[in-house]
Amino acid sequence: MYRYDYIDRAFVEDRAAEFRGQVARRLAGEITEDQFKPLRLMNGLYLQLHAYMLRVSIPYGTLTPNQLRKLAWIARTYDKGYGHFTTRQNIQFHWIKLKDVPDILGHLADVEMHALQTSGNCIRNVTSDPRAGASADEIEDPRIWSEIIRQWAAIHPEFSFLPRKFKIAVTATAHDRTAARLHDIGLLMRKGRDGGVGFEVIVGGGMGRTPYVGPTIRDVLPAEHLLSYLEAVLRVYNRHGRRDNIYKARIKILVAQLGAEEFARQVEAEWAQIDHPAIDAPQAEVDRVRAAFAPPAFEAVTGRSDAFEAAKAASSSLARFARNNVHLHKQPGYAIVDISLKAPGETPGDATAEQMELVADLAERFSLGELRVTHEQNLVLPHVKLDDVAAVHAALAGAGLASANINLVSDIIACPGLDYCALANARAIPIAQDIALRFAAADQAENIGELKIKISGCINACGHHHVGHIGILGVDKKGEEFYQLSLGGSAAEDAEVGKILGPAIPADKVTDAVDHLVGVYLRERHAGERFIDTYRRVGLVPFKEAVYAEAH
Amino acid sequence: MPKLIKLHDGHAAFANDAYMTVTDEDATPASGGVILPLARYRIEGAALLDEGRNVGVLLQPDEAIEELSDDLTRLSVVALSFPKFRDGRAYTSARLLRERFGFGGEIRAVGDVLREQASFFIRCGFDAFEPADGSTPEQWMAAANRFRHVYQRGADDRKPAFVERIS
Amino acid sequence: MKAIVANTLIDGEVVYWNAGVWVTRFGQAQLFAEDEVAESALAKANQPTSVVDCYVIDVAEEEDGYAPTAYRERIKALGPQNHPQHGKQADGGHDIDLIKQAHGIARSAGRHALIKLKK
Repeated sequence: MYRYDYIDRAFVEDRAAEFRGQVARRLAGEITEDQFKPLRLMNGLYLQLHAYMLRVSIPYGTLTPNQLRKLAWIARTYDKGYGHFTTRQNIQFHWIKLKDVPDILGHLADVEMHALQTSGNCIRNVTSDPRAGASADEIEDPRIWSEIIRQWAAIHPEFSFLPRKFKIAVTATAHDRTAARLHDIGLLMRKGRDGGVGFEVIVGGGMGRTPYVGPTIRDVLPAEHLLSYLEAVLRVYNRHGRRDNIYKARIKILVAQLGAEEFARQVEAEWAQIDHPAIDAPQAEVDRVRAAFAPPAFEAVTGRSDAFEAAKAASSSLARFARNNVHLHKQPGYAIVDISLKAPGETPGDATAEQMELVADLAERFSLGELRVTHEQNLVLPHVKLDDVAAVHAALAGAGLASANINLVSDIIACPGLDYCALANARAIPIAQDIALRFAAADQAENIGELKIKISGCINACGHHHVGHIGILGVDKKGEEFYQLSLGGSAAEDAEVGKILGPAIPADKVTDAVDHLVGVYLRERHAGERFIDTYRRVGLVPFKEAVYAEAH
Repeated sequence: MPKLIKLHDGHAAFANDAYMTVTDEDATPASGGVILPLARYRIEGAALLDEGRNVGVLLQPDEAIEELSDDLTRLSVVALSFPKFRDGRAYTSARLLRERFGFGGEIRAVGDVLREQASFFIRCGFDAFEPADGSTPEQWMAAANRFRHVYQRGADDRKPAFVERIS
Repeated sequence: MKAIVANTLIDGEVVYWNAGVWVTRFGQAQLFAEDEVAESALAKANQPTSVVDCYVIDVAEEEDGYAPTAYRERIKALGPQNHPQHGKQADGGHDIDLIKQAHGIARSAGRHALIKLKK
């Protein structure tokens, strides 16, 4: 894992000191709220309904046990004892006081963390594959390039006042766990013909009011030119992205208006004029970062664990956990263990300070000191020996963290919604809670199989509703909470924006509607088909009929 | 009127403004340096330059810096306007002026110009500022030098971290 | 009726205006019968060095008192509905109960009661 050197350390200390000064100036009335707001946003500080919210960056979703312990300590000391993991692999605290934020940034700096650029019209936290470094089929650890981008983007002198926010995702496997095609820039690692590493560059995807699956503007970009090419993309956007209308300011609108070909041409023309060696990370720097992500010290063990097999045979709950939450690792005898933050009835993505501390301890003891956060709001122990899975499961079960529901109907993405968020039109959390409780029976959930439900409390789509197999969008209909359902979205390599099912329905009808949708799937499915496969085969109509039957 | 701060060799000081910034309505002053909006420069610039006057151009964010590419050798100032400090287009303009067009004259930040942007300005090649927040040169440079290290190459001479690490 | 809500600058807490001072509970808020009076109070209340996001809200008359009309404002007055022990609702009291029971909430059967507008 990447560790800070003296430069990185000084940088986050300087940032904390700078914000301390800016807060003091705001409190003294030397700068107005209009002037202060962009400054606090660039440090991840929002004003929500009940308090300030601080969003802490977790670059490419990787954490050390000590970092997670520090987050737990912050939750306990400055918040109400919990944190909320987000769809950008970050964590946010919902009860923060402005006067405490400079101190919190200082505590984060102590563990090589920051809240830099987790908001505002700048380059946001770079996201990546939560299974990086553990997947057998990855070309190389995508965090190497994510870290190089993180540093390049940190207080970029030219690109900190963009038309709108800017999100980059990096992935290195055929199966996309980052929603790369729904990002401002998605980078899919490819092996070049010469054997070198390169990227397929996707620009102009996004969700929000106008969702787009991003087009590819370059098939293979040699990795060593990544930064100069990003600089060219950002420069074209900074100059030509719309600034007159907040809803048309994302790069996706520019790409759509110009057309992918013309946009690509402009980027190539700009790139040709950039002094590449001045901008690109030199080989020595790439080597330094690459070395930081060298594989951890795996033990040489056999690919089969008799202890694990025996434990599964003895415990149906462990066996279920193994089926749903434990995944193949590239190293024989190891597994990737997903920790669900979706216990039915709980708030999706929330973890208490005690839960964070337990997971930190487990990572230290059983996962070679590594932890990950997924954009689906779960945690991952990436390097667990098969021999240890039973012990990990038992410890998780004692803390309410052993829900065996990864990718199942109750593994729901939900934004904080109107319970917290000043932008929301409707609540998202209670809808997620109700659906998860309806499908809490584990056998039933496994029978239904992979089903991704994603809920947003407003059109900004933090809950990724556009790309849910079932998407749920909260809308305000004459002062009441209504929900618009969509079907057939996907955030994976077969990315697709879902289709709206029909008129929005009231809150107390949503869970029944999901039940109807699941019923149609169970009735119509062919052997081996997931919900999304059946939907793609039979189309919207039978689902629509089932949900709106009562109205006819 | 905001006081002008100018940067020389990494030091900032208040400076007398040797230019009169002329809006679309003003009459052109009879003598001294002038900074003109682009459209007016197109009409009056050549004559003023022929008189031996010092001439600068004020560009709005939607006016491409390439518009001036043939004029830069004769211009002594390019003023870049920030109608709102959130509008970041002029940062690109400044970098292109320095890095692509090799402009050696003054690049001035005008409009919603605040201390919080000082390091962005300087890193993109600005060397003159009209702070709207009453900043002194000392306050300005304290903000500009807040960060001991930078991560990427700009139009200034600061070494990015990847260079610092191997030197 | 109208009231004036804001968040304090220094800690973000939800506060209500009452004749020159900020109070922390909706039940203590000054209610304005006339829009113009509320608007002129807003001009006085909106002090940029002590509060942010300061605005006038609609207030509805219930059987036993008053509650904010919009459910967004009810949630602001109560706290997040997924954590009943967090926010102002944790303290309980008549004004909190009244907002919780304001029109619509008693009608829904689910575990997570809807907060509805008065019909």
